[in-house]
Amino acid sequence: MDNRADYLKAERSAEWREALRKTMKNKERTAQLRVHMPEAPAQERARSYVEVNSGLTAPIAMKEASRCIDCPDPTCISGCPVNINIPKFVKNIERGEFLEAARTLKETNALPAVCGRVCPQEKQCEANCFYTIKLNAEPVAIGYLERFAADYEQNSGAISIPEVAPANGMKIAVVGSGPAGLAFAGDMAKLGYEVHILEALHEIGGVLKYGIPEFRLPNKMVDVEIESLRKMGVQFETNFIVGKTATIDDLREEGFKGFFVSSGAGLPRFMNIPGENLVGILSSNEYLTRVNLMGASRQGMDTPVMRGKRVAVIGGGNTAMDSVRTALRLGAEKATIIYRRSLEEMPARVEEVKHAQEEGVEFLTLNNPIEYLGDDKGKVKQIRLQKMELGEPDASGRRSPQPVEGSEYLIDADTVVVSVGVSPNPLIPQSLPDLKVSRWGTIEVDPETLQSSIPDIFAGGDIVRGGATVILAMGDGRKAAAGMHQHLQNAR
Amino acid sequence: MANLSTTYLGLELKNPFIVGSSGLTATYEGIARLAKNGAAAVVLKSIFEEEIQMEFREALKNQLGPQDNNLDFLDYLDYQIKADVLSKTTELIRRVKADFDLKVIASIHCRSVGEWFAYAAKLQEAGADALELNIYRLPSSLEVSAAEIAEGNERIVEKVMKHVRIPVSVKMSAYTTDVAYTAQRYAQLGVKGLVLFNRFYQPDIDLENNRVVGGQVYSNPNDYTWPLRWVSILSPKVALDLAASNGVHTADTALKMLVAGAAAIQVVSSVYKNGPDYLLDLQHGLDRWMDKKGLQDMAALRAYGRAMMPENPELFERVQFMKYFGEV
Ligand SMILES: Cc1cc2nc3c(=O)[nH]c(=O)nc-3n(C[C@H](O)[C@H](O)[C@H](O)COP(=O)(O)OP(=O)(O)OC[C@H]3O[C@@H](n4cnc5c(N)ncnc54)[C@H](O)[C@@H]3O)c2cc1C
Ligand SMILES: Cc1cc2nc3c(=O)[nH]c(=O)nc-3n(C[C@H](O)[C@H](O)[C@H](O)COP(=O)(O)O)c2cc1C
Ligand code: SF4
Repeated sequence: MDNRADYLKAERSAEWREALRKTMKNKERTAQLRVHMPEAPAQERARSYVEVNSGLTAPIAMKEASRCIDCPDPTCISGCPVNINIPKFVKNIERGEFLEAARTLKETNALPAVCGRVCPQEKQCEANCFYTIKLNAEPVAIGYLERFAADYEQNSGAISIPEVAPANGMKIAVVGSGPAGLAFAGDMAKLGYEVHILEALHEIGGVLKYGIPEFRLPNKMVDVEIESLRKMGVQFETNFIVGKTATIDDLREEGFKGFFVSSGAGLPRFMNIPGENLVGILSSNEYLTRVNLMGASRQGMDTPVMRGKRVAVIGGGNTAMDSVRTALRLGAEKATIIYRRSLEEMPARVEEVKHAQEEGVEFLTLNNPIEYLGDDKGKVKQIRLQKMELGEPDASGRRSPQPVEGSEYLIDADTVVVSVGVSPNPLIPQSLPDLKVSRWGTIEVDPETLQSSIPDIFAGGDIVRGGATVILAMGDGRKAAAGMHQHLQNAR
Repeated sequence: MANLSTTYLGLELKNPFIVGSSGLTATYEGIARLAKNGAAAVVLKSIFEEEIQMEFREALKNQLGPQDNNLDFLDYLDYQIKADVLSKTTELIRRVKADFDLKVIASIHCRSVGEWFAYAAKLQEAGADALELNIYRLPSSLEVSAAEIAEGNERIVEKVMKHVRIPVSVKMSAYTTDVAYTAQRYAQLGVKGLVLFNRFYQPDIDLENNRVVGGQVYSNPNDYTWPLRWVSILSPKVALDLAASNGVHTADTALKMLVAGAAAIQVVSSVYKNGPDYLLDLQHGLDRWMDKKGLQDMAALRAYGRAMMPENPELFERVQFMKYFGEV
């Protein structure tokens, strides 16, 4: 990491950075308050698919960027899973060089417009910002600024398409088109490989398209990235299920020299409690996919299940928040989150919880379903909940929920969305007996190269991590590209 | 050759010997060895809620990334672990039922009403012939009285009964305050049998190495007297099938239990110590004695026992060493 530290130092002593630091005293910088993200009004947005956050304007972004004191030891970077050179991009915004800011982001992040919107910044870069750790003040709005720079580039029409090395004649297949696969494809294309992305669904983008809803991440942001990849020569095949349409062996015969498996974790988990198979109970996966890929107003959406009046969502992650907010948008009169721990333990991004609260979602924290009751037609009618209390912190530092004996009660619900996590889709591991997988079905890889137990297969993203974040999946894609390139070079 | 078949919890057993819940009954291979030596039934290794919680905490500790950003995956992993354990157990039940001629009794350790009753139904679906509930928890709380514990246990039993059709038995602790009353309550709730009694993990102190260690794992051959007493007392009083457990190490001890009114015998330690073929020795011992006494079947054996018992019914209820014993 010494190289990286030297590089950061050299960048920081660039003339323009030195000059910029002198334009304002640190006291003045830190005296400014953090910007607020402009938002669509809660009452209006809760019934429509407009993007909730509308983004910063240029003057406001520049002002926010001036809060950053360009620390000699920028701790924020260590909080970013892909080590974006945060001060460099922020200072470029401060001086008005927005395209340069976007380029800085893209040095390490293939999808800044996406990450600026969906990263849990409060746990990552912003949690490690000087303001947070030393001043106990609100951190520089790194996420907002990232989004601003990336959006600016997208809107400018001056999207820089990375240079592509001359074709090296090697064909590579990517299984799945989520953030891991897209990032991997970009890097491999740059190195001159012929990259084919094979995607099971009819849409490219993975969870970015079928999971995260339009009001949080408009599909067009993802399409722009896909377009760039196309221009770099990446080929996409949709409705292609690897393991079914063709096996890895078939693909080897077709001349593919390497495989990157980024097929995500799309198999919904349930709690296995009584009544869970009643009509009206479905996984968040199914719920969100139907809304996001089939369009809320189209056929099949008008089933009572999708248009529940009293919708309960079980879980506290991003998926749960997206589901419950989607329920409001589909016309639910009452949309409730049921989570067995307290608000503080929720894995969801803080902003999503806040937005959900503003939009009128009810939060039943410290409550856990133990049984579903149906009507005579087999449709869910009620949920038996048990109250929980938090016990001692466990080894992970989180306080574990304990049932309160005798605290059971019933609430009404006509739709229940179960959002308690996902498992990797077993299709690919099952078709490859030599592939090492963990007890949970995740593919085991070398942590440095992301190579699996089969030499020409690399893997990353949720299929390896079980379920993580866009930025980690993206980072894996890039790491795997470096690993596979090395492997193929050595093999030559 | 006497007919050793008996009924326990309404199940036809080819002999009274059941191998109790333990490592012996945890795997397909283990059960295969017991089946080969004539075990009439096995009680599968219990599914423990606590073990699942422990594994969950380990997973959280070891797999949580630096920024917690895989928390979505881990947040409800305990349900996944449960599902995993459950599917292994149901798979085991299916295979054992398909391949061997013995009855399979599933065992769950439950500590609260909310959590486990649902799983009972899944074990039934997989083909378990009966369910044994292992409810005991050490009453170490300063806040909880015996009455509250008893009431909590009854609620668990009630809940399970609501979710299964197969017969249910309860494995009782010898440290129950009101054994007879509790037995009667369980019978009223629909329980079909009792296992008298469970044996627990016994921590000990190692003075040489200054640490707490696991104590003696196996029972002693003379541990049988307490279960024998309770089998004798309860068998004429409650409409429950009694399985004797704890300290049955010889055919003679097994016979004493049967004479006292037990419907079946659970063995663990003696099989651990002597190997699965010891089950054959136990069956032979039983057979030989019955032949000697001219008893053709279990009904005859029980009649023999009943005829012997009423002469001094109060003997088993005596607890204090009175004058008579003082002079020994
Ligand atoms: C509703 C929801 C909200 C989320 N919110 C956030 C958030 O706010 N912030 C954040 O950082 N993370 C969030 N996440 C998590 C994040 O989206 C994932 O960690 C990330 O998308 C994983 O990327 P991936 O490339 O590994 O897999 P995915 O995005 O899951 O993509 C995998 C792709 O592979 C395809 N595929 C699967 N099997 C095959 C096959 N056999 N052949 C061909 N194709 C196949 C799938 O169809 C899919 O398109 C959210 C996830 C969900 C579900
Ligand atoms: C190694 C071992 C593991 C056991 N595991 C269980 C268990 O999982 N559940 C249970 O109810 N009893 C368990 N027991 C208790 C036995 O089922 C039995 O009740 C006890 O050992 C007394 O019987 P015995 O004298 O024949 O050994 C275990 C006992 C031993 C020795
Ligand atoms: S990618 Fe995520 S963690 Fe990194 S700087 Fe951007 S918002 Fe922060």
